Amino acid sequence: MPEMIWHHTLQKIRDCGVQGFVYLAVLLVSAVFVWMLADLVRGGFAHLSWEFMTESPRDAGRAGGIASILVSTVLILLVALVTAVPLAWATAVLLTEFVPVTSPLGKTVRFSLFVLAGVPSIVFGLFGNAFFSIYLGLGFSILSGGLTLACMLLPILTSTAEAGLRAVPETYRLSAAALGITRTAALIHLIFPAAAPALAAGLLIGIGRALAETAALLFTSGYVDRMPGSLFDSGRALALHIFDLSMNVPGGDMPAYASALVLVSLLLCINILAMKLAYSLQRRKILT
Amino acid sequence: MFRKNSYLLICLILLSGVAAGLVLLSTAPASAATQRLVLTGSSTVAPLVSEIARRFESLYPGVRIDVQAGGSSRGINDVRKGVADIGMVSRALKPDEDDLRAFTIALDGISLIVHASNPVVSLSKQQVVSIFTGNVMRWSAVGGPDTRITVVNKAEGRSTLELFLDYFQLKNSMIKPHIIIGDNAQGIKTVAGNRNAIGYVSIGAAEYETRRGMPVRLLALDGAAASISNIQNGNFPLLRPLNLVISHEPQDLARQFLTFAQSPQVRDLVKAQYFVPVDAH
Repeated sequence: MPEMIWHHTLQKIRDCGVQGFVYLAVLLVSAVFVWMLADLVRGGFAHLSWEFMTESPRDAGRAGGIASILVSTVLILLVALVTAVPLAWATAVLLTEFVPVTSPLGKTVRFSLFVLAGVPSIVFGLFGNAFFSIYLGLGFSILSGGLTLACMLLPILTSTAEAGLRAVPETYRLSAAALGITRTAALIHLIFPAAAPALAAGLLIGIGRALAETAALLFTSGYVDRMPGSLFDSGRALALHIFDLSMNVPGGDMPAYASALVLVSLLLCINILAMKLAYSLQRRKILT
Repeated sequence: MFRKNSYLLICLILLSGVAAGLVLLSTAPASAATQRLVLTGSSTVAPLVSEIARRFESLYPGVRIDVQAGGSSRGINDVRKGVADIGMVSRALKPDEDDLRAFTIALDGISLIVHASNPVVSLSKQQVVSIFTGNVMRWSAVGGPDTRITVVNKAEGRSTLELFLDYFQLKNSMIKPHIIIGDNAQGIKTVAGNRNAIGYVSIGAAEYETRRGMPVRLLALDGAAASISNIQNGNFPLLRPLNLVISHEPQDLARQFLTFAQSPQVRDLVKAQYFVPVDAH
C-alpha cells in the first residue's frame, strides 16, 4: 500500500514538472515577442506621427517619413503574391490531387522545392539581379524585385498549401465522388475551403518572409527612396530602409525604430485579418 | 448564396490586381520619356548622393536620378559594364583603374575607435599593426587594462578596409580579426557594445555618434587627433576622397550632375552627412 502511494506521488511530481516545463516554454516564447515589441515601442513610438506615415524620407531618412517606402513595399509584395500564389497553389493541387504521392514527377517537384526552400536569400538576389534586372532588362525596378521575391516564396507557399490540402480527409473526396460532383467542383467547393486556414497560414508566412527581405531586394528593387511612379521604377523596401538607417546612416536609429514598429504592426494586422478571413471562409463554406 | 459572393470576391480581387498592374504598366512609357541617370556603388557615398540627387531633381524637373548602393567595387564594375552611368567609389582610383575618370565630391577621414571606458587615447602606427596582426593580444601591452583585445575588421571589398591596409602597409590575410563588420554605423555599435574592442570607421560618423552619447572614443593616430577640422587642414594622415567615376565622355545630363555635385550649392548637404567638403581646405 505505501509503495502505491509513493508511486502515485512520484507520478504527480512528474506531471507537475512536465506541466511546469510546458508553461515555462510558452512563457519564454511569448516573452521574446513581448520584449521585442516593447523595445520597438519604447524606441520608436515617440518618433511615430501622421507626418511620418505620409511624407517621403529626407536627409537620408533621418528626417521626413516613410510614405514612399511603404508604397514601394506594398507594390513589391503585390507583384510577388500575384505571381507566386497562383503558381504555388496550382502546383500544390497537382501534387495532392492529380499525382500519386510516390510518382517520379511528384517526387522530383517536391525535391526541387525543398532545395529551393533552403537557398539563402542573397542567392535569390544575385539570380534576380542577373536574370530579371540585366538579362530581361528590367533594371532596378519594383517588378524585378517582386519577381525575385516570387521565386523565393514559391517553395513556402507550395509546401504549406500541399500540407494543407493533404490534411483534408480522404472521405471528403470520396463522398464528393459518390455524389457525382466533378473533381474541379469538389476542389473549389469543398477541399479548398476546408484547407483555407492552412492556405492562409502559408500565405502569412510568405508575406512575413517577403516583408522581412533585404538581401534579395538590394540588388533587384534597389535603394531609391523616391515615390515610385510605375512598376519599372526602383523602390526601396521597408526592411531595406530599416537596415540602411541602422547600419549605414549615423543618427538613423530613431526613424529605424519607428519604421520597424510600422513593419511589425503591418505584419500583425495582416496576420489577424487573414486568420479571421480564413476561418470565416471555412465555416461558411462547409456549414452551408 | 455565400458561394456566389465569395466567387465574386475572389474574381474582384484578381481583377483589381490585374487592373492595378495594367495601370502601372501603362504609366511606364510616360516615365521612360523623362531623362534618367543611374548611379551605383559605395554605401558610404550613397546617402550623400541621394540627397544631392534630390536637390538636382528639384532644380531640373523631368530628370530622375536612381541611386543604388552595394559597395565601391560594384560601382566600378557597373560603370565598366554600362549598367550604371556614374559609379560611386569611396577611395582614390587604383593604377589599374585608369580607364575611369574620378570627380571628388567630398573627403572622409578614417579613425580607430575604442570603447569610451578604455584608458588608451593614442596609438602609434607600429602599435596598430601589432594589434591587428595579433602580435599584441592584450590591452596591457599598449597602456590599457589587462584584458584581451577584440579586433574588429571591415569586410572584404569595403574601401575603408583597402585604405586602412594601404596606410598601415598590411595585407588582409595578415589581420587576425575577431569580428568582421560592414557599414560604419555597425562598426560603431559593435565597439560601443564591447569594452575590449578596437575598430576603425569614418570619422564623421564616429564624431556624430560620440556627440550623441555613444560610448566610443576616437584615437589619435601618430599624434594627430581624429577630427573633422584636422581633415580640413590636411593634418590627419588617414583620409580618403569620395568620388563619382565615369568610364567614357559623359552625356549632357551626367556632366551637369557631376558639375552640380562638386559645386558649392551642395556643400551644406556634404556637411549634413558628416563629410568634409572638397574646397574647404
